[in-house]
Amino acid sequence: MPFTFLNLLMLGGAAAFSIPVIIHLFNRSRFRVVPWGAMHLLEPVLRKNRKRVRIEQLILLLLRAMIPVLLALAMARPVMTGWTALAGGAKTALAIVLDDSYSMEAGGMSRSHFAQAREATVAIVRSLPRGSQVHVLRMGGSLRPLSDEPSFNTSRIAEELAKTQPGFGSADVPAALEVITADLAGMDLSKRDLVIASDFQRINWDDDGAALRKELFQGIKQLPVPPSITFLRVGQPVKDNIAVEELSFSRTALGVNQKLRVHATLRNFGQGLYPDLRVYFRVDGQERTVTQISVPPGESQQVLFTHVFDRAGSHVIEVYAEADPLKADNSMMASIPVWDRLPVLLVDGAPSTDPLRGETDFLRIAMQPFMAGNVPLADLIDAKIIEPGLLNDAALAEARVVVLANVPQLAASQVEQLRQYVTQGGSVIIAPGDSANVAWYNAELFADGNGLLPGKLMGLGGDLQDEKAGARIVQQHFDHAALEMFNDPRNGNLSEAQIKLWFHLEEPAVTPGQARDPNQAVTIARLDNGDPFLMEKKLGEGLILQLSVPLDADWSNLPLRPFYLPLTQQLVTYAASKVYPSRNVEVGQTLAAFFPPGGAGKTVTLTDPQARKSDLAMVERATHSVAEYRDTAMPGLYTMDAGEAGGVVYFVVNTSRRESDLDVLTDEQLRAQAQAVGADVARNWEEYRELDRNRRFGREVWKWFFIGVLGLLFGELVLQQWFAKRRL
Amino acid sequence: MALKEVLTPQDLSKIANLQVLARLVVEGFTSGLHRSPQKGFSVEFKQHRQYSHGDEIRHLDWKLYGKTDKFFIREYEEETNLRATILLDQSGSMNYAGDRKGAMTKAAYGTRLAACLAYLMLQQRDSVGLVTFDSKVRRYIPPRSRPGHLRVLMDEMQATEPGGETELGKVFHELVPKLHRRGLLIIISDLFSSVPDLMSALAHFRHARHEIIVFQIWDRDELEFPFRQWTKFLDMEVHGRDFMVDPAILRQAYLEQLATFREDLRQGCHRHFIDMTPMTTDEPYAAGLASYLASRRRR
Repeated sequence: MPFTFLNLLMLGGAAAFSIPVIIHLFNRSRFRVVPWGAMHLLEPVLRKNRKRVRIEQLILLLLRAMIPVLLALAMARPVMTGWTALAGGAKTALAIVLDDSYSMEAGGMSRSHFAQAREATVAIVRSLPRGSQVHVLRMGGSLRPLSDEPSFNTSRIAEELAKTQPGFGSADVPAALEVITADLAGMDLSKRDLVIASDFQRINWDDDGAALRKELFQGIKQLPVPPSITFLRVGQPVKDNIAVEELSFSRTALGVNQKLRVHATLRNFGQGLYPDLRVYFRVDGQERTVTQISVPPGESQQVLFTHVFDRAGSHVIEVYAEADPLKADNSMMASIPVWDRLPVLLVDGAPSTDPLRGETDFLRIAMQPFMAGNVPLADLIDAKIIEPGLLNDAALAEARVVVLANVPQLAASQVEQLRQYVTQGGSVIIAPGDSANVAWYNAELFADGNGLLPGKLMGLGGDLQDEKAGARIVQQHFDHAALEMFNDPRNGNLSEAQIKLWFHLEEPAVTPGQARDPNQAVTIARLDNGDPFLMEKKLGEGLILQLSVPLDADWSNLPLRPFYLPLTQQLVTYAASKVYPSRNVEVGQTLAAFFPPGGAGKTVTLTDPQARKSDLAMVERATHSVAEYRDTAMPGLYTMDAGEAGGVVYFVVNTSRRESDLDVLTDEQLRAQAQAVGADVARNWEEYRELDRNRRFGREVWKWFFIGVLGLLFGELVLQQWFAKRRL
Repeated sequence: MALKEVLTPQDLSKIANLQVLARLVVEGFTSGLHRSPQKGFSVEFKQHRQYSHGDEIRHLDWKLYGKTDKFFIREYEEETNLRATILLDQSGSMNYAGDRKGAMTKAAYGTRLAACLAYLMLQQRDSVGLVTFDSKVRRYIPPRSRPGHLRVLMDEMQATEPGGETELGKVFHELVPKLHRRGLLIIISDLFSSVPDLMSALAHFRHARHEIIVFQIWDRDELEFPFRQWTKFLDMEVHGRDFMVDPAILRQAYLEQLATFREDLRQGCHRHFIDMTPMTTDEPYAAGLASYLASRRRR
């Protein structure tokens, strides 16, 4: 039965429908008799109206009979059950997906959206019947359950829930749905509820992902015990929001006294103009520059800041906009490692006494342009040229990067030392040329793919005499960090260089469908005939870059092109910095810092963005000690302080700024989405309570019956008047 | 203070003797009026005029012819007094009185009005006749002007009991040949009849050059239809005919029908230059007397 009654006895009152009928009959039986003269006036009226009057009387009688029936129904408190068995006060397995992304910090002067969501979900957990089970999944940044597994200790979960904080990275709704589906399947009780508490931002609940979400919700609905789903929508739409969207730097490796140029992109996601937005530039927490810009609604503005670090080490820069109450995206930080100097060892395989004829002459100028030009500015790279015979452990120990420029061949011991150097975190750039002993390279350095050389030398391509047989580097979109600066045409066009002669390099065979070995060589750039131009290979903690042409002007005009300097600097700094773990990571990624060897057993103090401190144990690995931290769901500044063992290292955990677009689904859109997946929508705890009560005990509909009674009373009055008028 | 203002029909209904009643009402009504200009004129000489071809020879003044040798005609004041005939409806519908306390039937009211009018007219030495009728003429008393005629009329009125159907058209058509001398016809009736038939009959009277005054007698119930509870209406003119209705539902329609009926009557009377005075049984008779006098004055 779709209806049940809480006060069944009152249904007896429906018998009162007979009262109007009885009154009608009683009135008819108690008539008076009037001898009447003006019958010629009365008779036509009767003749004309008799049938209609009878119908009208019947309608009125029906209306009057329905009034007590509806009244009795209303008083019997009918409850709509929708043909389903009601759970009543049964124990419930409740799964909550709580959006704690940083957009939930919005809310202006009133309470933040997250505070409202937290309050509502805590109230929901506290209202569960005794013996219920709860599981909470937070979906900001990365998916983090509040407890390891669903808990029957609802009061403890409520306490934990009350302590949660927002400010985490972007919410990943499909991933959260996938995880919560598995969690729901593992819960124990036969009544299951799923509550998704969020601000329902359009970027997370857009139409593009609707099909995927529908499929995921379908999966939830098809669970052996499907839950009732509720969208708990919190907060009001927020109109103003400024976000620092991106920071970009002039260089990837920075030395002391070198100028760092920081481009900050600020976007106005709101609808109002920010005419005098103050933007601050902070270095290591100290305010350095303030500038004022105007950002029209929906547009972006770039601000340029420059800074020169006078001290090597880990530094933090921050661009901060003094704007709206959603502070999370008003600033963006970056950890900048500043090197004192970057020692590079250039091993010249074909030295010359003539100017610019030596194998490394161009390279040296490119490494130290200020020194070469007698400019009183600091070069980061400190290049040292040696002959191949002088390459040994002592030389290697001082270098961060070694360049083998057209080296004919090395002694077996040198190869071994070099291999060890790379394995322990060093980087080597190999650029063979006409002096190279191909057989030795392939046998000793390539060693069937197990050596240092990424690509086997397979003979020469091109012709020094015939320019037409030459090749050019393909100027494509580069995803690789070493070359991505050339995606901007202002930094030079690699295809301008003419390559007359080059080595064919063998690329490792790729088996389709098989995962690639991370240590396998990859091609980063190619010539236009398809041959590799630049290949990369990881070995141990270090990496090797291999060019198919030498870095002098013998086989190509590379050194004569404007991009030669940025290309070589970029390759060296990339090779030098790549071996260190990045200090600007995305939420969820692990933070790792290398410290000098011998740190095993020592602790590093980690401070997270909420200023909570925790101790990390250093572990010894190869040539250095490592400290790692994994719980990086919250974006912001993390500090590792190793004290005397290695100083302070700053990490910045970033998150996508998608969340800054605070546009939310309208109520109609949310209802439509809810309807599409069979969910209900509640705006607060009270509405959820009402919803839950209806699910448990059915929907009380006495109000509608009561309104029906009033409607009938009114209708009876109107109809009576109308009938009377019609009879005229 | 005029007597008419003191004596309501209810008070007067207690006075059984029609003569006394008529006298009280009429004297009360006329006590403030000027004497009628028509009163007392008779066969008095008015003037001479020259004979013209076609004049009746008997009206020649032979004495003057002797003196002047010219023919003159003697002209007199109108010799005839008003010949009024009261047509009193005695059909069944006139017997309605409602159930109000002290209410009189329309027939009783009509009778008293007729008595007052007769008294007034005889006082003015006009001739007054009486016709009582329902579906047919019950009694016809020709107009006389002698004072003793009042008693004859009163006796006839008191002796008549209402009953029977109304067929005004038919009755009035029958009456036309009987009232062969033109005069004033005073119709006292509820006019519950077919309006076209009635108008046709009244037109017939007008064709016979009769002046007509109509006193339409209503009971307050018939005008307001105040019934609330279920009611069985028994036809007062056709025995055994009745209607069981909820009057509250029909009231508006009835009032509309009534308004149409009255409007039809009013327009019909206006078309035939007939004065029609609607009266309800709780009104003083004075309105009736005033209407009569206005009509008399026009003659």
